[in-house]
Amino acid sequence: MMQSAVAPNALPEKISIKNLKFFYGDSLALKSINLPLYEKKVTAFIGPSGCGKSTLLRVLNRMYDLYPRQRAEGEVLFDGGNILNPGQDLNLLRARIGMVFQKPTPFPMSIYDNIAFGIRLYENISRAEMDARVEAALTRAALWNEVKDKLSSSGLSLSGGQQQRLCIARSIAVRPEVVLFDEPCSALDPISTAKIEELIDELTADYTIAIVTHNMQQAARVSDYTAFMYLGELIEFDETSKIFTAPSDKRTQDYITGRFG
Amino acid sequence: MASLGNSAISTPAAQALYRRRRRSNGILLTLSFAATIFGLLWLALILIALFYQGFSGLSLSIFTEMTPPPGEAGGLLNAIIGSLIMTIAGVAIGTPIGILAGTYMAEYGRHNQLTNVVRFINDILLAAPSIVIGLFVYEVVVAPMGHFSAIAGSLALAILVIPVVVRTTEDMLNLVPNTLREASAALGLPRAVMIRQVAYRAALSGIVTGVLLAIARVSGETAPLLFTALNNQFWSVDPNAPMSSLPVTIFQFALSPYPEWQKLAWSGALLITIAVLALNIIARTFLSPRTSK
Amino acid sequence: MTGLRSAGVDSTKLKRMGRLRAGDLLFNWVTFAAALTVLLLLGGVIVSLIYGSIPAFQTFGLDFLTTQSWNPVTEKFGALAPIYGTVVTSIIALLIAVPVGIGISIFLTELCPPWLKRPIGVAIELLAGIPSIIYGIWGLFVFAPFFQATVQPFLIDVFAPIPVLNSIFAGPPYGIGVLTAGIILAIMVLPFITSITRDVFDTVPPVLKEATYGLGCTTAEVVTKVVLPYSRVGVIGGVMLGLGRALGETMAVTFVIGNAHKISASILSPGTTISASIANEFTEAVGDLYTSSLIALGLILFVITFIVLAAARIMLARMNTKAGN
Repeated sequence: MMQSAVAPNALPEKISIKNLKFFYGDSLALKSINLPLYEKKVTAFIGPSGCGKSTLLRVLNRMYDLYPRQRAEGEVLFDGGNILNPGQDLNLLRARIGMVFQKPTPFPMSIYDNIAFGIRLYENISRAEMDARVEAALTRAALWNEVKDKLSSSGLSLSGGQQQRLCIARSIAVRPEVVLFDEPCSALDPISTAKIEELIDELTADYTIAIVTHNMQQAARVSDYTAFMYLGELIEFDETSKIFTAPSDKRTQDYITGRFG
Repeated sequence: MASLGNSAISTPAAQALYRRRRRSNGILLTLSFAATIFGLLWLALILIALFYQGFSGLSLSIFTEMTPPPGEAGGLLNAIIGSLIMTIAGVAIGTPIGILAGTYMAEYGRHNQLTNVVRFINDILLAAPSIVIGLFVYEVVVAPMGHFSAIAGSLALAILVIPVVVRTTEDMLNLVPNTLREASAALGLPRAVMIRQVAYRAALSGIVTGVLLAIARVSGETAPLLFTALNNQFWSVDPNAPMSSLPVTIFQFALSPYPEWQKLAWSGALLITIAVLALNIIARTFLSPRTSK
Repeated sequence: MTGLRSAGVDSTKLKRMGRLRAGDLLFNWVTFAAALTVLLLLGGVIVSLIYGSIPAFQTFGLDFLTTQSWNPVTEKFGALAPIYGTVVTSIIALLIAVPVGIGISIFLTELCPPWLKRPIGVAIELLAGIPSIIYGIWGLFVFAPFFQATVQPFLIDVFAPIPVLNSIFAGPPYGIGVLTAGIILAIMVLPFITSITRDVFDTVPPVLKEATYGLGCTTAEVVTKVVLPYSRVGVIGGVMLGLGRALGETMAVTFVIGNAHKISASILSPGTTISASIANEFTEAVGDLYTSSLIALGLILFVITFIVLAAARIMLARMNTKAGN
């Protein structure tokens, strides 16, 4: 396996992004990105608005395929296969790479069904097993105690922070290998944010995680590695502690010290 | 320049101009108010006449007896049942086609040129003269079969249902936030599953509203039934034979010289209006919790 | 917690996925077919009308459009009288409904207290939902007798000494007739025109209106100088949509127009429209030529309404893009 130049250790790469370019119509949004996502580590993407960090995240599960006139070039290797291949099975890919969005997106159904829905698609399991899976997912998302008595009420009845944890539970219930977080706390209050951050920290035991965030403290708190992006380019990628204490690029330093952004 | 604040209306000429502006403003406002009263007046006059004339003839026999021969008393039972059967059949045929077509336009084909063409054509169908739809069904169903039938009537109504349902389904699915679609895709759900289990659920009240409005629309339609289902003086539930319906019966009875028939026509008109208004009101209350959110 | 550990890809998962994908493809095709059905319906309507009217056009040629005679006995048919009736009743309807509809829209968007907005809006829309046959029966039994006893004699008397107008309003007062049909049509299309112009007025950006009020303009000036110019295209689109309804309306007209295949100078005398002719005569038409002539009338009606409705849609779409910017 080819090692990225900036990788300090020979950690296994879950996803390797190589020479990735992305286009909205004719305009180039990502310019030759090279980046590893290490297995069972948290990688944060930071940078000013419009720098391409969300775009990059949405390439990883090919969410951009839902829209016309958007395309990616280059390679994104996931367990050795290039997910940008036209023949890539998107449903299978997305079952293996989960995603949590900026705004909570509970489905218009009960809390229980929100979780069971995805599982039921891929696995034929008994009611008892399903109950266990739902409980496990909700427990893992630190939501079980709050909702165990109202599993049949609508997912929309929960508070914003609870809804977001429900979405995390829903995502991990289908047993992905990677979970992508797209500014998961930007619509939440500080207490809910703290809970989600704690949760992300716990999830690293089992999952490879990528998180896009506007909040640099958040990146510093939750991530092992940080990628700083600016105007569609990857400026710097390193261990989070290094990025926030001794960045090697002037632009990174300006951004994290608040000189622009 | 110190007097700029007052100068605009201080001269007599400016005050006269201002008075004239005030006056023309008053005239326009009065006219628009009068227009509103005028418009609502018709609604009131029609409803008053309808209830006055219709209620006086309304009795239990309307619902228990068949349409009578000229000069005799009777009811509207066969017409009511015929209307119910053909409306239900028309809605049952038209609704699935309409929902599926609207689904294509809002989901699979959202960014296609075809969708724009279908939307344009559908809007034309939505407002096309219903009597032309009757002629179409006459030519492709009645003429080949050789006789008028309830089947032909139901098909004509189905063709009127489709554009209404297509329109509301597409509109309502377009209101479903894209984040829900992305969240479903992110779980690895194929589109069909997302549409049927997430998008339909989110758009349910709107789609139901569309179907109710479609029922309201066709339950009063007369022109497309005139030469498809025709009419039937007698009790008939045979789909292959002419079938009576309330609107066609009203048409026939109202234009007849017999007072008994005219009275039945008024009662039938009242029944249809109540049904249509009720459907409209139910449809609106169905939609309102959604739109007010 | 092992229950949540990544399971990777096993064969059952792959198999289920294959089935789901096949289902997705099938559903895609089914919805696509349904969308095509909408196109096929319109195509079918056009083809069947053209096919059905071939005998009439073969026999009469383009004279069909320009002759007035309508004689089932001698089998001489010309569409001029119904075309004339259709156009005249629609013009009368628009002359009444457009100013009133715009007036109501101005009232609703600029003057109406908020608590009254919704009830009036709902009432107007309920008026739009009432089936046309109700307007017809009301027109025949209530409006026409009233009209015959009061307004028509008045019109005949008032205009009698004035040349030209005295032939347009020439007696006797039948009650039913072209003018009556036009008025009933006006009541019918009024709610359509009102609800569309109101929607179009609502697209005028509030800042634009506020800026005008900020100059000290009166409501009338805001309406005539800002709202109407801004929304002109949309209002015309709404009027055209109302015209499309009026041209094709059958039942409301059939009751009150009198069904006479002739063109009279007086709008108080009976006439006919395309849709009224078809509704009245189609089931009783004997012989292929008679039937074909009625279908040809339907084709003419369809072509006219298609053009009007298409123009209306294009204008409303242009208005919407403007509002989008």
